[in-house]
Amino acid sequence: MATSERPEARGLGDRIYDIVFHNVLWQAIFRSGYPNTPRNQMLAIATNVFLHLHPTRIHRTHVKITHTFCLGGLSFFLFIGLTITGVLLMFYYVPSVERAYQDIQNIQTNVRFGFLMRNMHRWMAHGMVLMVLLHMMRVFYTGAYKPPREFNWIVGVVLLVLTLMLSFTGYLLPWDELSLWAITVGTNMVGSAPILGPPQQFVLIGGFEVGPAALVRFYTLHVIGFPLLAATFMTVHFWRIRRDGGLARPL
Amino acid sequence: MATDAATAASAAVRGRARRQREEELLVWPDLVFIEFISALVFTLMFTLLSIAINSPLQDRANPANTPNPSKAPWYFLNLQELLLHMNPALAGVIVPTVALIAIGAIPFYDNSNEGQGEWVSTPGGGRLVKLGAWVGSIGSLILILWDAAKHVQVYQMIFGAGSWPTSLNWFKSARDFQGWLDTSAYSPIPDGLRRIPLGDYLLRTDLLGLTEEPIDLTVNVPGLIVEQIIPVTLMVGLPILLSIVAWRIGWAKTRRDHMILQFSGFLAVYFTLTIIGTAFRGRGMELYWPWDNPPVIT
Repeated sequence: MATSERPEARGLGDRIYDIVFHNVLWQAIFRSGYPNTPRNQMLAIATNVFLHLHPTRIHRTHVKITHTFCLGGLSFFLFIGLTITGVLLMFYYVPSVERAYQDIQNIQTNVRFGFLMRNMHRWMAHGMVLMVLLHMMRVFYTGAYKPPREFNWIVGVVLLVLTLMLSFTGYLLPWDELSLWAITVGTNMVGSAPILGPPQQFVLIGGFEVGPAALVRFYTLHVIGFPLLAATFMTVHFWRIRRDGGLARPL
Repeated sequence: MATDAATAASAAVRGRARRQREEELLVWPDLVFIEFISALVFTLMFTLLSIAINSPLQDRANPANTPNPSKAPWYFLNLQELLLHMNPALAGVIVPTVALIAIGAIPFYDNSNEGQGEWVSTPGGGRLVKLGAWVGSIGSLILILWDAAKHVQVYQMIFGAGSWPTSLNWFKSARDFQGWLDTSAYSPIPDGLRRIPLGDYLLRTDLLGLTEEPIDLTVNVPGLIVEQIIPVTLMVGLPILLSIVAWRIGWAKTRRDHMILQFSGFLAVYFTLTIIGTAFRGRGMELYWPWDNPPVIT
């Protein structure tokens, strides 16, 4: 077979690959090439602000689905999903007693894809409560709260409470019978606390019964107060997972 | 001294098992792929669910109109269920606060770092999970049914209506016991305990000008017993008893064992209360089967 001095002709695939991944814009954004070599795969994680939450390497057992069932990750995923659908709902919703119920009806019937946004927001909220509870059970039964992860367990308990509070404050916003009485029952529990109960209840709902002031308070807490607090604690939670040596595994 | 710290650190490093590269995977693509797929699957699932089922929207809120029953969101129905059986401050605030603090304190009690990273790591841990789950769910169910006087109904089904002996009226439910303590001639509470003893002489706040009116010195002893002392005794005593039994029969040996038992029991009680409160409480917060639950009155 005659050997040719000419270099081998490059196929169409190689040329497209070059155009997509070796152009000026790609390299300006991602610096490293397409992650198809171990070096680039590690750089893809380490140089990306969103992905560098992860270590570049993890132990083999950690990607086993039955080790975590992805529960913590899914809780975070639902939080993001709730933020996105929640922002879209905020475009149409005004937290006043006169308008709230009507706005929800509009979202459900008149706004294009409004029903989808509201339904997703609601089901994801229930899903997040469930997911966080299951995540807590997973962490408990795999002994992942043990030293050195004691503090992160506490942060997790705080996040559970914040998740419940996020869901609870959102419950009032549609201003229908279900929401009004659920919040009345719930805040009455706060009011029964010894010593500081009634004043706390007054501060929480801005009056002696759930009314316009309560709606504004719950809305503000729901869309900004608790999400910021939860995001802060999540930051600590994720940071501490890395600091405490990643996922727990047998010594 | 710096050298000491350095020696100590190097000793610790030398003691640590060498990281085995062949045991490790690259996060890209192995983990990122899983995350991507699960995010995709869940987005799809929630989209389909949201197309299939509309979230509830009832009539506009009317503060003048209290629906019967009025229920909190499902994840608080466990507390609302507790509220039916004991003092509101206890059920609504003290129990959840103490429970959360206790849960947060788990790693400070079970503070050995052995047995992490595997499911229910202690030998015999599995049967402790089952023991906790069975005792927690059956136990709370029995207490709920007793407080709803269901045993009286069973008795009367067997021996005919009205056959429950009046001498056992105090055993009908917690409220009946309270009423019996309060009014029965056989009540063990002496009349002297219905007011704070010597309170009239010792608690003379009216003299100090602290309050306009003298403090109310009557004590509802039956209420105190039934709404606070009995529930607290049960909620603290039964888990301790469970742990003692599990320890004596040799099932629970380490702190981790006890925590597995207690946490499983707690979860079982939590889920039982939530399910009862969500599906089995109807009009007037009475117990109903979900299929003949009367419609909510508004």
